[in-house]
Amino acid sequence: MAFVTVIQEHFWGFLKATGMTLQLTAVSLVLAVVIGLIFAFLKISDNRAGILIANGYIGITRGFPLIVQLMFLYFGISEIILLSSFWAGSLALAFHAGGYVAEIFRGAIQNVDRGQTEAARSLGMSRGKAMRLIILPQAFRRAIPPLGNQFIIGLKDSSLVAYLGVPDLYSNAMTAAAANYQPFETYLVAGMYYLVLVVIFTRVVNKLETRLTPHRQEAAR
Amino acid sequence: MKRLSRILLFSALAGMMALAVGCGDGATGGNTDAEDEEFAFANSGAYKPFSFDEGGAIVGFDVDIANEIAERIGRTPVMNSPVPFDTLIQGLKAGKYDALVASHGITAEREEQVDFTRPYYRSGPQIFVQTGTTDIAGPDDLDGKKLGVLKASTYLDLAATLTGEGNLVTYDSDVVALQDLTTGRVDAVITDKLVGLVARNESGLEIEAVGDVLMADEMGIAVQEGNSELLAEINQALEDMIADGTYEEISMRWFDESILGE
Repeated sequence: MAFVTVIQEHFWGFLKATGMTLQLTAVSLVLAVVIGLIFAFLKISDNRAGILIANGYIGITRGFPLIVQLMFLYFGISEIILLSSFWAGSLALAFHAGGYVAEIFRGAIQNVDRGQTEAARSLGMSRGKAMRLIILPQAFRRAIPPLGNQFIIGLKDSSLVAYLGVPDLYSNAMTAAAANYQPFETYLVAGMYYLVLVVIFTRVVNKLETRLTPHRQEAAR
Repeated sequence: MKRLSRILLFSALAGMMALAVGCGDGATGGNTDAEDEEFAFANSGAYKPFSFDEGGAIVGFDVDIANEIAERIGRTPVMNSPVPFDTLIQGLKAGKYDALVASHGITAEREEQVDFTRPYYRSGPQIFVQTGTTDIAGPDDLDGKKLGVLKASTYLDLAATLTGEGNLVTYDSDVVALQDLTTGRVDAVITDKLVGLVARNESGLEIEAVGDVLMADEMGIAVQEGNSELLAEINQALEDMIADGTYEEISMRWFDESILGE
């Protein structure tokens, strides 16, 4: 029963916090895709400096714990630039996910059969054109399932920004638990909010995947 | 492809710089210029009744004191809350806030990092145990017992000397620590006497205070090291509100008594 009371009493607080979590996730994931694309291209380029930078970036973002990256962006560089907690959080999440997204894109691009490039080139397309018109559409389709997976991880990772003082879902659970003396029920409610978001998100990704895969579209009918 | 990758390399670098610069505008609070008329203060929002969530807003004794100070020094109060307690001093030093009105005990260690005002209330660490506990009657009985205490608090060292480092269980919030007392995961919790008593009265937790406060703690408001101008202003505001009875009025609101302790 206490569980229901917690849901009712903190309904608006959690709803507002959900908005913040979604904002954080959206901003960080859009940035992560842009960052990921850029570094994926660098990594498969034939520019040695580019490859070195991409490998360094991916190594650092995948190697450091997210909480360390968060603390670094929020406190570590405050002498140079004073980021608000929202932007420090969003950027850290974006940098962190960007490393994984870069590898997802790189894998997807390299997975497209070599013959595709060769065929496109033999039809007289430039390398850039072949990449844009032939390889990338196929690669993007392949990237959707692992990207969706990464986005779900990103959504839940965003809970760590509570430690920077961003009023997100998890932070709301911390303060609510401190005020109502019911930590178990309160954290469970927060967990359910995340669960619902993840379920909705999974559905969207599945829809997108079906739409971009012609033969699966047939099967779905 | 070579050209494409070179363009990408440049755009990556340019993009990152643009991002870094663009985001600087989004920074909030933290400006220590007295001219911008803001008083950015911070608290944990998880320290009932000093700062806690009530219907979506953080309220409490610390919040009221901070707002009263802001009014007296002629600035607009801007609250940063909830901020995890153990990152507050770090954040103050990084210039995120002007002051911490967050129930910091004044210690020599902290005074190396920040500057403190005069004490704005006094309390002390109190041993709490589960109701009906018979083997703990005072600090001497704590040796070897599992002891819960707030992370980054002044009580951490004290607790370590009483039971030994290995028996400490640290928490982010006093309230969670007290809650865990009733599960039996810890044998005793050392927390602020006022916080513990309020928690017990409000939540009906089956806990009780044992013995007297272990020492008298003086709580101060922290400002950045060397910010003597703001420090003097806040001290003056505190003196004034104590003298004209506003302080007592705020204290009565939350504790039914004055917690100034003078």
